[in-house]
Amino acid sequence: MPGIDECLLEAMRLPGARGAALVDWTSGLALGTVGEAPGGDHETTAAEAAELARMAAEHGTFSAGGGGLPPVEDVIISNGDSYHLLRFVDTSFDSSVFLHLWLGREEGNLALARIRLGEMASRLVLG
Amino acid sequence: MTVISTPQPALPVRDKAATRALSPMLTRLAEERATGVLVREHGVLHLAEGRVVHAESPLAPGLDVLLTAHGTLAAAAWQQAAARAPGPPHAAEHLLRSGVLPTGALELCHLDALYDAGYFALAPSSTPGRFRYDHAPRLGPLPSVPVVALERETLRRRLLLHRLWPDPAADSAPLIRADPAAGRAPGAPVTPRQRAVLDRVDGLRTATDIARNLGRQAFHTLVDVRRLTAAGWIAPAPTAAAPPAPPPYQVTTDPDIALLKRLRDALEAL
Repeated sequence: MPGIDECLLEAMRLPGARGAALVDWTSGLALGTVGEAPGGDHETTAAEAAELARMAAEHGTFSAGGGGLPPVEDVIISNGDSYHLLRFVDTSFDSSVFLHLWLGREEGNLALARIRLGEMASRLVLG
Repeated sequence: MTVISTPQPALPVRDKAATRALSPMLTRLAEERATGVLVREHGVLHLAEGRVVHAESPLAPGLDVLLTAHGTLAAAAWQQAAARAPGPPHAAEHLLRSGVLPTGALELCHLDALYDAGYFALAPSSTPGRFRYDHAPRLGPLPSVPVVALERETLRRRLLLHRLWPDPAADSAPLIRADPAAGRAPGAPVTPRQRAVLDRVDGLRTATDIARNLGRQAFHTLVDVRRLTAAGWIAPAPTAAAPPAPPPYQVTTDPDIALLKRLRDALEAL
């Protein structure tokens, strides 16, 4: 069963991965980081990504229609040279965390990364 | 349609230049890589080789509450682990070894609980802390946190709460429902997580009580309490005790002074 560090290292094995982190979106704290961060600072990246994640998670506009589904699965940002993929981690205890993967656009495969990151998020908390 | 709302302040980023230590004693203990237990007014930090391995505070629900409140772990399973361990910090290691919980879930919940209790343990106190050298805390299989990381995160969290609503009164007082029209951001939508907090505001419970009831981190609850206070949904209950006699030379007895203070705080927060 992977721990937080193993999970982040696994994310870094995805093609084009530049950096990854596990972030709490209520506080903006990075509970684990690996690789690079945009601007070189994981703390700033975590705080800014947490803002984005909180907006997506807390506003009904982006939620699934109910039925016990988690409100939001991912947030995807693309820019000229990279992708940012935020994957919410659905825990059985009360928490507010997501995995943040930063992918180079040239080498990265967004569809593959999205599927894999979802699997990693499940394995992290479900074993 | 025009929607007017006060934008939420951004999450603060730690000021790298700030070297202010929350507890000089703790800094010294980290430097000498001390092992033992630091007892402060609002909580306890367990240090192993100068790193924080466990934190407890009466103001924050422990790992046991977080894990059992939503059925992640059966209460009996926690009691079994706790019975086999010399103390709560070791109970989590028992759980890890027994494999009843996924490693990632346990690590995550352990870190959540550590930063949460650490925030309160490092709160300003009126009495000096005491450190007991003790060989019980040790670097185990669960993640530990450098002292400086916990201190900086605690300062960042204080700043976050201050930006949301500068008056800390609601953090510790029993909470009551208020008239949202009087709030800083009237009509601010209540999110589902805030709704859970709001539903438990009954004039008796404090933020800590609500956190425990929800099986939720106390700091997370404070974030929602300050947001709900800023929006005017809730307020700290007026203290039941008779107000102290005014000082003899006080000439201002304006009953609106509290309102003015609140207004000043709100303006400063804009």
